[in-house]
Amino acid sequence: MSPSLLQDPEMHFGAVTFFAKEHKGETCGSNGLPLTPNSIIIYGRAQILKTIKHPNLCQYLDIIRGKHERTVIVSQYCGEQLSNFLNKGLFTILDIKRIAYQIFSGLNEIHLKKITHRCLSPENILLQENNSIKLFNYGLFHMTDNGKLVSFPIIQLIYTAPEVYLDGVSGNLSNPKVDIWSVGIILAELVLDKPLWQSLKLGQRIRKILSLVQGNTSVFERIAREHNCYEKYQDLSSDLKVIIEDCLNILPQHRPTVAEILKNPIFDKFKDVPDTNRSKICDKFEKFTIEELYHWWQLAGGEVLLELKKQGLIRSSPPILSVPKMVLIDGSILGQERNPSSLYDPRVIPMPLESLYQRFSHINTYSYYPLIHFKSEILASVEPSPYDAEKLPLVIREKDPEYQFHRIILFRRLLHGYPYTKQEIFKEAKRDIPPLLRGSIWASLLNLKSNYEQEYTVIDKETPTPTDRQIEVDIPRCHQYNELLSSGEGHKKLKRILKAWIYKNSQYVYWQGLDSLTAPFLYLNFNDEAKAFACLSSFIPKYLHNFFLKDNSAIIQEYLAKFSQLIAFYDPVLANHLQTINFIPELFAIPWFLTMFSHVFPLHKILHLWDKLLLGDSSYPLHVGLSILAQLRDTLLTSGFNECILLFSDLPEVDMEQCVNHSLESYASTPKSITARSHQNEEYEEITLSDIQSISVQQLNKEKCPRICVNDVIALIRNSPNEVIIVDIRNPLQFNRCSVKGSLNIPFSSVKFGDINIENIGTYSTVLKNQEKKIVVIVGTEDTNLELFPKYLLQCNVAKVCVLHGGFNTFLPISPTILVQNQM
Amino acid sequence: MANRTPAAQRPNGSTQGKICQFKLVLLGESAVGKSSLVLRFVKGQFHEYQESTIGAAFLTQTVCLDDTTVKFEIWDTAGQERYHSLAPMYYRGAQAAIVVYDITNQDTFGRAKTWVKELQRQANPNIVIALAGNKHDLMNKRMVEYEEAQAYAEENGLLFMETSAKTAMNVNDIFLAIAKKLPKNEQTAGPGGSGQGRRLVEGDTGAKTAGNCCK
Repeated sequence: MSPSLLQDPEMHFGAVTFFAKEHKGETCGSNGLPLTPNSIIIYGRAQILKTIKHPNLCQYLDIIRGKHERTVIVSQYCGEQLSNFLNKGLFTILDIKRIAYQIFSGLNEIHLKKITHRCLSPENILLQENNSIKLFNYGLFHMTDNGKLVSFPIIQLIYTAPEVYLDGVSGNLSNPKVDIWSVGIILAELVLDKPLWQSLKLGQRIRKILSLVQGNTSVFERIAREHNCYEKYQDLSSDLKVIIEDCLNILPQHRPTVAEILKNPIFDKFKDVPDTNRSKICDKFEKFTIEELYHWWQLAGGEVLLELKKQGLIRSSPPILSVPKMVLIDGSILGQERNPSSLYDPRVIPMPLESLYQRFSHINTYSYYPLIHFKSEILASVEPSPYDAEKLPLVIREKDPEYQFHRIILFRRLLHGYPYTKQEIFKEAKRDIPPLLRGSIWASLLNLKSNYEQEYTVIDKETPTPTDRQIEVDIPRCHQYNELLSSGEGHKKLKRILKAWIYKNSQYVYWQGLDSLTAPFLYLNFNDEAKAFACLSSFIPKYLHNFFLKDNSAIIQEYLAKFSQLIAFYDPVLANHLQTINFIPELFAIPWFLTMFSHVFPLHKILHLWDKLLLGDSSYPLHVGLSILAQLRDTLLTSGFNECILLFSDLPEVDMEQCVNHSLESYASTPKSITARSHQNEEYEEITLSDIQSISVQQLNKEKCPRICVNDVIALIRNSPNEVIIVDIRNPLQFNRCSVKGSLNIPFSSVKFGDINIENIGTYSTVLKNQEKKIVVIVGTEDTNLELFPKYLLQCNVAKVCVLHGGFNTFLPISPTILVQNQM
Repeated sequence: MANRTPAAQRPNGSTQGKICQFKLVLLGESAVGKSSLVLRFVKGQFHEYQESTIGAAFLTQTVCLDDTTVKFEIWDTAGQERYHSLAPMYYRGAQAAIVVYDITNQDTFGRAKTWVKELQRQANPNIVIALAGNKHDLMNKRMVEYEEAQAYAEENGLLFMETSAKTAMNVNDIFLAIAKKLPKNEQTAGPGGSGQGRRLVEGDTGAKTAGNCCK
């Protein structure tokens, strides 16, 4: 049965909560910006903990900021606290050795990452049903910057090493040897099968630990004697005894490191072959991961803060009670009661999973193992029809737990097969991208290579450069409403990525806006800076080729000229209006295209926009620009220059889903050569011989309607003859000699351009007036004026007008079959 | 709201006097507070994390002076040196300019001087230039002395004030001082007129096709 697949005893999680220290008095730093709240600093520092995955460590899942600097930490929480098993004679010496080995293995993992536990105790060691152990809450000391960001001391009474007390409880001694002491005490308790100094009061316990500092006999022996367990001590096999005694050395430098202890042969029998075969793009394959379970749980209505409230961990007291009795004129506060909740509350609240189990109970086993490439008819007939949510709006699909279940299971499987599954990933990404896996999916859409980490490591990100000042002033104002990007860690990472990119791309320079462009990648890969950098590095050549040249004017000018032409192509009325009021894209669209809209929209909108952008080429943003204008069309049409520019200085809410759909539509239905640019990157978008090349920006600006290449015209005539009108403006003689089947001949010389009225064209004016969705291709010769006529049609509000690049003669060598001759 | 200029609350065109429109441009090194000054003047707001300006932004605000209504069309430009080549498009034809520097950063003052020189050389010869030493709220970090800046302003015939977009100090005052100094006779335009901004951009078409985005 499938629910059992979901109900894994280790797939449980719980939450703890505490308050970050509030900033007293001063609210602004030396740069005039408000001090970053400590809870945000913690939020940033804690992110890295989510990447720690080890069988002997509970995995961190989420950090949530509540009101008033409250921080909630969600982490895997399963099994039972080791303290519950003491004093019951449950463990053999072999058991204790195994436990010791697993504690050290877990510690080794965090010490390698330069993280000190600092509050190791039997409460933070969880024994699983299968007798393995997991360490819990090992990140508290790290995320609080060695305790500096909270107002409570991070200690565990008797488990805390004496030097921590000597340093002062508010000190932030971070030597990993303090953890070794803690393990020593824990092992002593296990061996003696007794909680130590249990009957003593808090102060006395601390005094006991400090008293151990004096005297030069074995600490372990003294502890054993004090607890009347000397026999047990004496009987203990010397191998384990030595380890405990080493751990309980008074001087930290005499205690061994975890790595040294793990080398001890008594642990050899517990070691198994490490798992080294891991993919770079995604983690090793599991039927589902605890992050995914947590994600589904949240989608299915699970709310951590609510559970904490239910269990009484978050209590709200009326604000009136927190008003101080007196505030002096200098701002100091008197008579404010100390809020007990600012102390540390060690309680862990397990999150109930029943409702999720219920919600997913009907999902059958097959769904956990979707077949991707091949499915026999027999199998297909057994499976239920796929969960259908496709017609729902994207935002609903993203919140639907069951839909996200299927999408995530499928995508993780596909990502696991990357790069061989590139095409399948692309195909599925067209439907939608599950937010939980967006970072990895984007990376695969951007063709990331597996060695991205090494590449990033070797880049110099530290040496000061003249650009640093600009980067430093830009970062503190780049998407700062976002918790990750406003945290200190976020600032540091963004700066390193930007510096790395500048260093790596010496042909380019830092233009303001590069920061915004990097932000989405950093946000999605916060714990993998190298990946964020690699994504940026593949994104720019594809979508912003040469935009960051020191002299990028040619590239930008061409892009904007193409944009103007695209507006004229789809919306002549708007184009004419903007032309009349002289409202040129240069005034508003540079930040749009230079940053691919990342300077214009908030992150959540950029993510949805880029989900689609990554499936298209560098012309897609032009269509996005077009659809933004389409949404503002009514206002623009009734506004003058000032109103228009004001509208863009403070861009109103844009419906992103509508914008994306509209732009996808026009992107799909626009012949490629209409938006082709000479500055696009040939590595990504081929420029064939017949494509439009080497047209100067000046020329481009004169041509109000876009050019189309002969191949696109032929494809239109062949594949969708009802969607194209060929207007031949050569003289009748030429036309009769040879022309495209079904084309209309409106000789250039027969049109009076002075008067803007479509009727002037003559017989064919009704056809053009009512052409609606058809593309109008103007065909002339190389020596006819190819600007005037299309411009005239544009002024008459005829949409979808374009000009055949190279004129009629380009048809001759390529496709004589669509031509007719000698009509006379 | 309290920081709005009282005059600005009067609806546009409600006075019986004449209405003048002026194009004003803000220039200065990046992150000195150009956008913040405009935001404070136009909307009475202050954002701690004001985003960087790419290209330029445009805002308008109206102030009343005796019997004249002065409508400012404000071009707020990008500060990064690289965007420099876009600047002429905005200051060409402008009747007023505010050159902003950050009093806590000597380099930005140097940059302000370069802007003043460029305006004196390239802009409208009658342009009214004001120098704003912004971030007065960070006085204890001051690196540019008031006297130094004032002496420089006097030498060059600039209006000068130290301002703070954060506390609103001198923000309205500097715009009002500019409004007072601007000639009101020739520039009169009716309400709903096409606006200076537009005309100035029109006049610029030649230059912009030549590749204005950067040098």
